[in-house]
Amino acid sequence: MKKPLAPRVTRAILLTLFSALFVLYVAGPVAWLVSSSLQSEAEITRVPPNWLPQNPSIANFEAIFSAADRVVTYENRRQGEALTSTFLPSGAANLLPAMRNSLVIGLWVAALNLLLSVTAAYAIAVIDFRGRRATLYTVLATRVVPDIALVVPLFLVIRNLGLINSLGALVVTYLAITVPFTIFILISYFEGIPRDLYRAARIDGCGHGRALWHVYLPLSLPALVASLTFAFLTSWNEFVFALVLTQNVAAQTLPIIISGFIMDFTTSFSFVNAAGVIAIIPPVLMAVVFQRYIVSGLTAGAVKG
Amino acid sequence: MARITCAALTKSYGAVLAVDALDLSIGHGEFMVLLGPSGCGKTTTLNMIAGLEEISAGRLLFDETEVTWTPPHKREVAMVFQSYALYPNKTVRENIAFPLRLRGQSAPEIDRAVGAAAEQLEITHLLGRRPNELSGGQRQRVALGRAIVRKPSVFLMDEPLSNLDATLRLSMRGLIKRLHQELKATFVYVTHDQAEAMTLADRIAVMKGGLIQQLDTPEGIYERPANIFVAGFLGSPPINLVEGVIAGGAFTRGDFRLALTNPPEEGREVVLGLRPEDVSAGGDVAARVELVSPLGSETHLDVLAEGGVPLTLRVPKEWRAAPGDGLSFGIDPARLHIFDKASETRL
Repeated sequence: MKKPLAPRVTRAILLTLFSALFVLYVAGPVAWLVSSSLQSEAEITRVPPNWLPQNPSIANFEAIFSAADRVVTYENRRQGEALTSTFLPSGAANLLPAMRNSLVIGLWVAALNLLLSVTAAYAIAVIDFRGRRATLYTVLATRVVPDIALVVPLFLVIRNLGLINSLGALVVTYLAITVPFTIFILISYFEGIPRDLYRAARIDGCGHGRALWHVYLPLSLPALVASLTFAFLTSWNEFVFALVLTQNVAAQTLPIIISGFIMDFTTSFSFVNAAGVIAIIPPVLMAVVFQRYIVSGLTAGAVKG
Repeated sequence: MARITCAALTKSYGAVLAVDALDLSIGHGEFMVLLGPSGCGKTTTLNMIAGLEEISAGRLLFDETEVTWTPPHKREVAMVFQSYALYPNKTVRENIAFPLRLRGQSAPEIDRAVGAAAEQLEITHLLGRRPNELSGGQRQRVALGRAIVRKPSVFLMDEPLSNLDATLRLSMRGLIKRLHQELKATFVYVTHDQAEAMTLADRIAVMKGGLIQQLDTPEGIYERPANIFVAGFLGSPPINLVEGVIAGGAFTRGDFRLALTNPPEEGREVVLGLRPEDVSAGGDVAARVELVSPLGSETHLDVLAEGGVPLTLRVPKEWRAAPGDGLSFGIDPARLHIFDKASETRL
């Protein structure tokens, strides 16, 4: 028998309403970021605000890409006018180099994190060795400590290694944060792959390396992509360690440089928001490129189910 | 071909002994079946032969070469799993070719070998498909293809037919038997299905509690079970087991009395084993029919013999009986099995 019409309509309305609210909650700030980056400072600060730009302009982006050509000094810093988007914060020229730093660090962290975590997770999930569980719990225990408590010890370690103010300092630090989590994610995934596939691979002629390469990695693409994205985004967004471990622009990352704009003599929100838009492009691209790999049911048909 | 020698092969998990000092020699080209209930240690034994389980104690030899500590990928054995264990991300062709690719064979060689294996198993038309597009029977054929393509000297099979339906199981059983005859390799086959064991094996090792209870030909196992466990494990319906005592050269339980050809000593407490089919019409054992189960080709009768002894009989369909009917049948004393009650071993 068909369900009565009224409850179905109510359900549809409620679902649509809550979905719309959720989308607004998640996408609203991003939409405002993009919209305001195309507006002048005067337009942004108007009350009520213009949710859509009246006169869309890419002046803010042009300012970012030409920042290196303009030297901001104490004398000329007020020559630009914040209200017309021509104001340029001191340090604006550092934005693109910082972005390059963030990108380099993010890619290294993503790659090394995957390399270290995949092999460790395979060993813990697949190979039966004495102390296997203890190893897992030790790895996890390192993540119980809040990051902020590790700032000083890590600073001392990095300083003694002579890595302060280098990209390597942040790569090492971010790996310490991401590797334990990634190992945990991958162990769960590897343990979900039917054990008989491992056995079949060993019988067919695979040592552990080949079993990992030919069987576990192809079947774990969704988890690998998730790990890659997690590691990249963690390092891309991280602020506290970057602030403490890098004190010159040669090694500073995007969050540090962008936050510096807000503490300048004058804050240009349009410029900061344009920088924000540029900052979200790599993660968004990453999500778009990898989303097709995040599919379920890849192991369907492997074993009797 | 290879001869497999298990010398005091032992596997323990902490305090639990899964396989207890197993001695077993499997000849060149022999079809050996490890038969037993769940938890008897048969799969663990197979896995030790494969190298998938570390051996706790004892030695394992292929021909004269010790392989106790050789990793599985260097043992040159092929294995077929109950779950098929096909790589879901590879096509049938890639699945079958995979062991050859790992051995660095050339593409034309691989194509030739895969084609031949697929033809032998009649799966040529499936080569482009992925495992999730195949039926259970087709998947198991692919798994067999992946095993035979390497032409190994030892085939290990872990309950390969358990997940198939009855009809498919029958045809696959025939296929495996034919493969064994054609390949002339050594097969070690694990199952809990007595019909598979009886039809496929050159010899059967019946296992329980990590120990071999009896190692013999299918006929020997069925006709001369070494103990009550083996007698009870083989046969459908299962053997009738009746506790009693030896008195006057006969098995006696109350009014139920059967003369024996070679009776043990007087007064000994024993268990009588009578296969349901080892009865003939018109003998001197009187019984009352309790339940009639016609199966078409034969009939199973649950009867209550003299002295209230319950028995199941497997009789020709021509025997007409209804619940409550009286019935008399004969038992050939030579077909009876007598076990010691205390040790449960054959007397």
